[in-house]
Amino acid sequence: MKTNIGVFFGGRSTEHEISVISASQAMHAINRDKYDVTPIYITKQGRFYTGDALFEISNYRNIPSLLEKCTEVYLKPIYGDYNLYRAKTGGLFGAKGPVCTLDVAIPVLHGTNVEDGIFEGVLETIGIPYAGCDTLASANGMDKITMKMILRESGVPVIDYVWFTDKQWFSRRDELIAKIEEKIGYPVIVKPANLGSSVGIGRAGNREQLIEKVDIAQKYSSRLIVEHMVDNLKEINCSVLGDCDEYESSVLEEPIKSAEILSYEDKYMGGTKGAKGMQASQKRIPAELPAEMTDRIRHLAGETFRVLSCHGVSRIDFIVDDDTNEIFVNEINTIPGSLSFYLWEATGLSFDKLMDRLVQLALKRKREQGLKTVSYDQNIFSMSGGVKGSVKGAKSPKH
Amino acid sequence: MLVYITIIIAVIALVFEFRRQLMMLQQNSYRNDRYSRWLSTSQDSTSAMRLVSGAVLLASLSTLTPAIWISAGLICAVSLTNTIILARKKYKKPLVMTRRASRILLTMLLLAAIPTVICLFVCQAQEASLIFVADIILAVFCFSQSFALAANWLLKPVEANINRKYYQDAERILRGMPDLKIIGVTGSYGKTSTKHYLNRILSEKYDVMMTPGSFNTTMGVIRTVREYLKPYNEVFIVEMGAKQPGDIKEICDLVHPEIGIVTAVGEQHLESFKSIENVQRTKFELIDSLPTDGLAVVNNDFPFVANRKVDNVKCIRYAVSECGPAQYIAEDIRYSAHGTSFTVVTPTGEKFGFSTHLVGECNVSNLLAAIIVALRLEVPIEKISYAVNDIQQVEHRLNMKRTPGGVTIIDDAFNSNPTGSKMALDVLKMMTGGRRIIVTPGMIELGERQEELNAKFGEYIAGAADIAIIVGHYNREAIISGIKSTDTTSLDVHTVNSFSEAQQLLATTLKPGDTILYENDLPDTFK
Repeated sequence: MKTNIGVFFGGRSTEHEISVISASQAMHAINRDKYDVTPIYITKQGRFYTGDALFEISNYRNIPSLLEKCTEVYLKPIYGDYNLYRAKTGGLFGAKGPVCTLDVAIPVLHGTNVEDGIFEGVLETIGIPYAGCDTLASANGMDKITMKMILRESGVPVIDYVWFTDKQWFSRRDELIAKIEEKIGYPVIVKPANLGSSVGIGRAGNREQLIEKVDIAQKYSSRLIVEHMVDNLKEINCSVLGDCDEYESSVLEEPIKSAEILSYEDKYMGGTKGAKGMQASQKRIPAELPAEMTDRIRHLAGETFRVLSCHGVSRIDFIVDDDTNEIFVNEINTIPGSLSFYLWEATGLSFDKLMDRLVQLALKRKREQGLKTVSYDQNIFSMSGGVKGSVKGAKSPKH
Repeated sequence: MLVYITIIIAVIALVFEFRRQLMMLQQNSYRNDRYSRWLSTSQDSTSAMRLVSGAVLLASLSTLTPAIWISAGLICAVSLTNTIILARKKYKKPLVMTRRASRILLTMLLLAAIPTVICLFVCQAQEASLIFVADIILAVFCFSQSFALAANWLLKPVEANINRKYYQDAERILRGMPDLKIIGVTGSYGKTSTKHYLNRILSEKYDVMMTPGSFNTTMGVIRTVREYLKPYNEVFIVEMGAKQPGDIKEICDLVHPEIGIVTAVGEQHLESFKSIENVQRTKFELIDSLPTDGLAVVNNDFPFVANRKVDNVKCIRYAVSECGPAQYIAEDIRYSAHGTSFTVVTPTGEKFGFSTHLVGECNVSNLLAAIIVALRLEVPIEKISYAVNDIQQVEHRLNMKRTPGGVTIIDDAFNSNPTGSKMALDVLKMMTGGRRIIVTPGMIELGERQEELNAKFGEYIAGAADIAIIVGHYNREAIISGIKSTDTTSLDVHTVNSFSEAQQLLATTLKPGDTILYENDLPDTFK
């Protein structure tokens, strides 16, 4: 009897394919002597499939034929029910009953709808132990605005910013432009607040460009953020593994970019190596920095992780201002591409042990949740004295 | 027509009565010897219901030839009455329809069907009235107990076969988990509490599975292994209960524990153990089964633990009171409204302070046992400390809570025993600020010492409480005699027939600041 790990990947997001790569790497790394692996692929239409064909990355070239080799499944949103049910029971002679029962879930999903707490909410409702940020941390981590608000409040340095919604931009545009020019000053970088992987991002060096870039960004999201752009910058990434009580930081990496900012192409289609994910894009590991700065960045990465109450493995991306040597947290990836395994291998933790740690973290969190009181056994309605106000609602105010 | 209705009503009454006997059988752990003992002491055989039914049966057989409708009428009436009585009865521990229970019920009904069907054929052959069938059913009703005994006995080989398959399955599962650390916990009392505390503390570092609730028999352990144990569990805590010598060895032969805790050797279940030496021998079956590189942790506060040599494995002795010489002791125990604080002293003289919400010296003792095992399994001391502080009180085991009305309730309703009940009274004694009330039916399963120990209990009550409410008849005289022997004048004694009567009595007189101790609760077989 081995622990059955359900790995969820794919999803209705713009980072669907990257998730497939990350998951494929992760699933191959899991130690099969200790665990069973059940792959669960979420299509772009939001349907769930499982099957051994999902392990082979080359099968994803033709999705319809891949899905024919798989079984469509679903989860029931019932607390304590970790079964993976068949979407179609096979008639008179076909297989009936659940495909299997999961023990632990590891979501390897990137982007909106799947990394922002929505999918995590499903797992929490079911109550299955899972690795990775919970709903709270996922939502805060995915939204650049809330992330900066929380970090700033906790003393973690972030770049100055102004935020607004698309409707505010429409009705109060001049006011917002003035605020941006006064508080931040050009050049600025415009981003949709809650998308990953550089989608919809643009640089603006003056007012005209600002308006242009905001117009582009608001096609993708109704929450927008404008940040001061550091001219001479270094990007440094650090991964953190653990939970907010016990965590550790990895060695640092410096991604090498082709244009001014890492574009979608840079990140995922680096070089001619094809589908190799984050690993393929050029990077320097460990980053060549003075020891003091390395320590500071690793410390800030840990602080970010702790303050946002993260869990599992995350990657925090920093911006270092080359002119002033100031360090800023740029963003956090609550489920990083390739689960940052290459950073952990460089830190001395092998991929299979990384996956093992994630399983342990999932179980530990479930244990700790079990110690807190969630609901009371008594039915307040049936107690003598009853509920104040009874069914007719609270006492109506005297007119 | 009337005859058919009569038969149907008689069958309905029979089913209710069969279920009731099945429930009693279940409460006696499906053991025919225990069930028979209950039958003889409970006067169920000569209950009013049975006597009246028997009388009707005889009347019906004698008046049969002249008027069938008289017989039918009588049988109908008595069956209807029986059905109504049985259907309305509320049981504290109602029948749980497990697969085994259904098997027994089915067998009982099949056995009842034999004479019934034979009678049916005979009646039809002889062209006699089917009222005889109703008579047979009523007769079965009167002898329902025999049917329960017979069905249980007949099914024994079936149950044994099923159990053997489950046993082997559990063995297979445990063999597939060689790294699982298995800890056995036993003792005359305190084992469930210690199990809970150990579970909480070890969960700071490990993924722990413990046998749930009262699953402390071999079948319970098998069920836990087959239905609850997970491949990622790292520690398995097995609570081991015993109703007779050999019970604990049976569990150990299945699970092969590497660590064993004996929390107490005292007077409990004396009717099956007969002597405290037997209790000692049975509890130490756990220690005897440990491997040489294992660990025994035993409570030296009990003379019958202290005087027992342990040679086969490393043995750590712990104590809370001054008497036992022990390697680990708990000292400087202080109580307050918030709980307890105490200091643990290790064999090397190191001291660690702890605080907890639990009350009572027995709980400090249980915590100490858990702490010792946690240290052996290398749980960091800060985590042990945190866990001890976090431990919530266990329901029904010296559990203290305050109602919104300002009354303190000490709920010690689970299987009481002389030492435990004395400790509960020690806690009650300390509750100044209002009246100290005890509600208790006394203690059971003490064999020959039943009267003596309940009388002693009465003496302690006189020294600790202001009001005593004695429930039921079982130990009434013994307890009252104990109270009287102390010449106390300040104790108000009431006797009631049931807990609900006790509740009613209290409801009218309780005041904020009062404390009520609920000491022991009895299953339905002891009313």
